[in-house]
Formats: sequence, C-alpha cells, structure tokens
Amino acid sequence: MSVLYGYAGKLLEVNLSENRFKDRVLQEKLCRDYLGGIGFNARYLYEQIPTGADALGPENILMISAGTLVGSPFPTASRSEASAKSPMTGLFGTSNSGMFFGIQLKCAGYDGIIIRGQAPEPVYLVIENEEVKVYPAGNLWGKDAWEALDILKTEYEEAEIALIGPAGENMVRFACIENGYYDAWGRTGLGAVMGSKRLKAIVVRGSGSITPFKGEEMLQKTLEARKRIMASPFYQPFKSYGTMNAAIPYGKFQALNAHHFTRGCLPDWKQNFARSRVEEYMKSHIACQSCIIACAHWVEINQGKYQGLKMKDMEVTPVTSFGSGLGLSLEACVQASAQAQKYGYDMVSIAGTVGMAIELFRHGMLTREDIGYDIDFGQEKAIFQLMEDIAYRRGIGHILAEGSKRAAGILTGSEDAAVHIKGLEMPMIDPRGRWTTWTLGMLTNIRGGDHLRCRNPVENLRYNENKHNYRKERFGFPEKMFHDLDMPAELKARAIDLEQDTVDIAVMAKWAEDLINLYNALGVCIRPPVMNSIGPGILAPFFEDFTGLTMSPADLMRAAERAWNVMKLFNIREGEKPEDSRFPERFYRQAIDDKVLPEEQIEEVLKLYYQARGWDRHSGQPQKEKLEELSLEQQRYFDSR
Amino acid sequence: MGGFLFVDYQKCVGCKTCEMICSQTNEKLYEPFLARIKVVWNEKEGWFFPLTCAMCEKAVCVSVCPTMALHRDQDGGVVLLEEKKCIGCLQCVQACPFAHMNFNRRKGVAFKCEHCGGDPQCVRFCWTEALRYLPLETFLSYRRRETAEKMMQEP
Repeated sequence: MSVLYGYAGKLLEVNLSENRFKDRVLQEKLCRDYLGGIGFNARYLYEQIPTGADALGPENILMISAGTLVGSPFPTASRSEASAKSPMTGLFGTSNSGMFFGIQLKCAGYDGIIIRGQAPEPVYLVIENEEVKVYPAGNLWGKDAWEALDILKTEYEEAEIALIGPAGENMVRFACIENGYYDAWGRTGLGAVMGSKRLKAIVVRGSGSITPFKGEEMLQKTLEARKRIMASPFYQPFKSYGTMNAAIPYGKFQALNAHHFTRGCLPDWKQNFARSRVEEYMKSHIACQSCIIACAHWVEINQGKYQGLKMKDMEVTPVTSFGSGLGLSLEACVQASAQAQKYGYDMVSIAGTVGMAIELFRHGMLTREDIGYDIDFGQEKAIFQLMEDIAYRRGIGHILAEGSKRAAGILTGSEDAAVHIKGLEMPMIDPRGRWTTWTLGMLTNIRGGDHLRCRNPVENLRYNENKHNYRKERFGFPEKMFHDLDMPAELKARAIDLEQDTVDIAVMAKWAEDLINLYNALGVCIRPPVMNSIGPGILAPFFEDFTGLTMSPADLMRAAERAWNVMKLFNIREGEKPEDSRFPERFYRQAIDDKVLPEEQIEEVLKLYYQARGWDRHSGQPQKEKLEELSLEQQRYFDSR
Repeated sequence: MGGFLFVDYQKCVGCKTCEMICSQTNEKLYEPFLARIKVVWNEKEGWFFPLTCAMCEKAVCVSVCPTMALHRDQDGGVVLLEEKKCIGCLQCVQACPFAHMNFNRRKGVAFKCEHCGGDPQCVRFCWTEALRYLPLETFLSYRRRETAEKMMQEP
C-alpha cells in the first residue's frame, strides 16, 4: 500500500464497557471510497451498529471523524463530523462542527474516534499523542458544560474538548455534544448518546504532525481557492455580518418560524432585530481553523438585565429560534444561547420543544398545574425555567425531554402539535413562506427536519417566486455566476436554465446534498461564499496534493454520493418509510400570509428528486442499479472486532 | 535594512493559518509545536493575540547564548539561529520574555522565527492584515491613518 499523506492514518476504537482501546489503520480503499469525516462515519456505523439497536443503549456507537483536509490550509478546512444512531429519529444521526477539535484530533494521531459500549461509571476520555486514558468523571458529572470546561481546561492547557452538559447526562433526547464553550455538534441528539455511554468529555491534545504530499503546490492552490471565495458576491456580506444576513430577508418573505410556526414573522421583527441593534453588541469576528470568512462574532451585552454577558454568539439559528420562534428579545436570545450551551442543547430542538409546550398551554392542553407556572411566547423567565426543567427532567420537563414528537404523543395522544420531520424539530425556515431547494432539503434530509444538508449554491435571497408548480426557483444572477459555478457542465445546464432564469429544485437538491456531503467528508464549511465558489473541480487537485491520492472531481462526487446512499440505507434498515418524508399537517392546512403548501405539487417535486437520485420514484429506495454503480454493498471495510 | 513584523491583535480573528503556514514553510509539514508564531485565544474574554519573535534590539536570547549560535544578521535586523552551533541548553528558551524561543526535541536544537529570509509567509497568508511586514516608517504612517479614520468615524 502506498503512503497516505494528509491523513493521521488511523481510527481509535474505544470500548467503554471493556475499557479496551484499539487502533484501526486506515486502508487506502476506505479513503478512496469514503474520503473521511462523514464518509468514514457512515460506512463504519452502517456496518457496525446492529439493526434495531437502542439509540441510548450500549449497542449504539458514537463516532467523531475529522474531515480529510483538516490540517491543510484549505480555506475553512476545520470541520469534523459526529455520528451515531439518533435517539430523536431512530435513524442516522449526524452533526458537523468546526473550530479546532478536528485539527487537534489529527495532531493527536487519529482521523476519527469510535466510542462503543457503556462505561459502568461516569468517565472522561483523554487522547494525547496516541496515548489513550479513561478517568473517572466523578467531580465533572453533574456540572454544566462551562463549569466542566473550566476544570478540564485548567488541567489540559490548550486541549480541545468535546463534552456534554446536564441535558446529555440526563439523556434528554435532543442533547448536543458541545465543542468547547460556544460550538457544538448540535443536531440529532448525539449528546444523549454520549450521556448513555456515561462519557462526560473527550479531551484531545496532540503535537504530532500532518504531512502533505506536495506542500508547495498545496500552498499555491490554497491562495487560488481563497481568491475564488473572496470573489463570491456572498463573501463581503458574510465576512461583515455572518449568518445573520438571512434573518431579515426571511422575515420579509414571511418565511420565518415565528411563535412556533403560527406566524410568518413577528410584527416588530425588523426593528427589534435590525442590523444596527445586532451590531451594537458584536465586538469582533471569530474564525475557525483556516477560515477566511470569520462569520462568528464575539458578543458583549453592555446594557439591561443581561449586562456583562459575553460569548461567541448571534448566529442566525439561535437568534431566530429563540427570538422569532419563542419571541425573546435580542438580549434574551444571547442569554438563551448561553443557557443552551451550558445545559448542552440542540438549540433548534429546545426552542421547538418549548414552543410546542407554549402552544399547548395557549390551547389549554397544558395547564399551570401541569407545568408549575404560566408560560407564553416572550416570557423569558418562564422559558428559561422550562429549559432548566427539561435539562434535569423535572416535572413536565421529564416528558418534554423526549423531544416534541414523543412529548406530543404522550401529552395529547397525537403528534399534530409537534413541528418535526422524522422526529427532528424543524429549523427556522417556514416552507409556506418560501419554497426553494433549501426547503425541499428538509424533506429529503437523512437526519430529518433540518436545513443544513441541502443548500442551493446559487440561492438568490432577493427573490421569492414559486415557478412551474414548485419545481423551480428564481436564479436571478448575472450569467457570470453560472459560468463560474464549479459544477459539471452537462449537469449545470440541466440544473440552471438561463433563458427561463430558473433553478431546477429537484436536480439542484441532489447536487447540493452530495456537495455538502463532500464538504462534510473533507471538513470544508458550507457557508454560502464557499458553496458558491468551491466544487469538486477545485477540491480534487487539492485533495491529491494533500493526500497523494489521485481522485477526479467525479470520483469525489461519487464518494460523497456513496456515503449519502449508505446513510439512506441505514435509515431504511431502521424503518424509515416513504411517508416520513413529509411536512407536519399544519403546513398543508393552516395558511400563513394566505399560503399553504400544495400537497400534490410538493409530492411531485419529491418524486423528481428521487428520480434525480436514481432511487425508486415512489418509495425513495435506492435501486439496485444505483447501488451497483456506487459499488456499495460488495464488501466490508471493517472486520467486526 | 528589511522590515519589521508587526502584529495588530485587534484585527486577528484566530484562524491560526499563520501557525500552519509557518510550520509548513519551515518544516514541510504541519506540527503545531513547530510553528514560529502562535495565536493565544482567551475564550472567556474573546480576544486573540498572535505572538512571534519581536527581534528585540537588545535581545536577551542572544546575550544568554553561550555558543553564539544566536546572532544578528548582517543588516542587524533579524536574530538568526545557527543550528550547528546550538548545544540545546535551553538558556534562550527560558530567557525569552515573549515565550517565543522554542526547542525541537527531535533535532535537539532551539528554533525561532527568522522572517523566512525577508518574505515572511505568515504575513503572505494573513488575510486580516493582523500581521504586516513593513519598514517602521511605512507601518506607522498606515497606523496613523487607520487610527485617525477610526476616530473620525466614531459618533
């Protein structure tokens, strides 16, 4: 076998039940077929998690893998993917996070960590330069994530730490894994999986090296990739204002989740969340490893009752989830983010679950006796109290900790009150207000109601037009954008019709999902300036300079598609049904701004997407030809123990 | 005489690309410990501070070096380390007031920033302009303009 450059070269397998560790040396074939990051996770978990395993039992496996390009200066190559069977959806659970965990992991000698089994007592794991130790977490267990980090950071200077808060410890189904103080592998409840394994924290610190195949060429291509990203029309807005760019246009379109999807926008949204107000609190920019955008902000609240609060925050997801979804003020949103980080919550799911509780309370289906206090949108004291009650599973919190789908079933006998897809709460975009590749992506997403695995690289936020029975969205850019887009010519011509000025939603969704899966395998970020300018044509030669593996752009896309299909097969094996790819009833029945989703037309776009994927048009099942084309089921990559 | 490497910590966003490029340029691989520039991040206060060799005029590292492995270049601007003469005594590592002098365990010698022979690669890859390599006068004239403009903009 040839030498693998760029990779650390092995995966660490930890069995917490037996207190055993094992290195799995990376095989070149695995690297070629699955690349890294989400690809490694998908293949390993597909082979190793027994069908029907309890997501919160010892049979489930948690895996965190760094993207392949992490350790190179490729712009934004910082990210790592955490995956397991999700306690929310019962399907493939997976989440991506940036900052410095991935690079520390690789410098500690591993491309990925696999956590199997269940520790008899709470523990934390330390991985330092290929040395692995398990310590009792006695004094850490029960502490919130920030307190636990303070303790661990004193002992392990300059380490990167993945950990859970009380929500994870108490197996709140939508608990996240925190990535340091302010970041997280947020979605699909991976923190609950970590909690079920009684694993409080994973500390990584490394001083090992990562060697590129062709260093000089790699540096040159880094500068070229940077130039492309910086030339994107999305670059300056994201550099100066970050993800908050989307908050105002989505409000304008009446396409925000407002008051738990009962409105399209709050009446005073534009004033209360105006750019000038938000910028008042933003003190500086923060980047992840190797990023040239630095979309994150350091925020300091310098007035009012939250004066003195400072953290990395004001991303669009927490701000819209808490601000628009629950009606909190801008300042209270930051406090809510801080609480969510300390408890260790998926912010979309906690806001969705609390929103549902408020809705039920408003309709008299939950009472003061049930909750212990009155609660309504905008009532921060009650909302913060409920967030705490859920983290510790106190009172009604014990039921809501099951996530909105299960809790709705228990509380009302029906799931109608929950706004979820496949058991995962939907994020802040209302598909009634705006129908695009992005919103179709919530139906097709392997992880359920979520907006981060499908994003049109040429989404145009100036327009909001449903064209051709929901099959097209407006392109609306100059022709140059079309020509510059790094996408195979034939496919590009099918996805974007310059004459009609439209984007084909089904065709673009398939491409966008595969492209994002490629990013999540390589560790590249999905911020719009990157998606807009970086495709497989740019990535393939860089991949070769870094790893020494020759892969064509088509090879990279096929690997990404392969991993997507593996995750879909995992879901089908775990019981995903075609009818699960559906919005909650309210989106088809209750109008916002006079708009409901037309059921048949949405169904038809979904079928077109299945066709684009080479899946059965009705059932959405990957077909034999597709599996053969991807040579997917022919061999095992990992021996069983 | 060449330039100075100026650090404007207020512009740093903490992407740590400088560390990676430094190690890559000098060692042909990325190893965090071998970078000649390090970014300190205070996670509680939200600031970043890149630290590298200040090329002190009265350099303590040069004074304490018993073998004269550390010395100034001919122009007198850059402090260089001659590996062959280094005996790995770590006197310079202990003496440096900026915790810049470092020690390569594999080679058994100290190492430091040498401005990449007059074209510092960290500066080339720093997109925020937190790192700049300029003659002193040019730097100061930039800074004066920036400071004045900032003050005039503030309400």
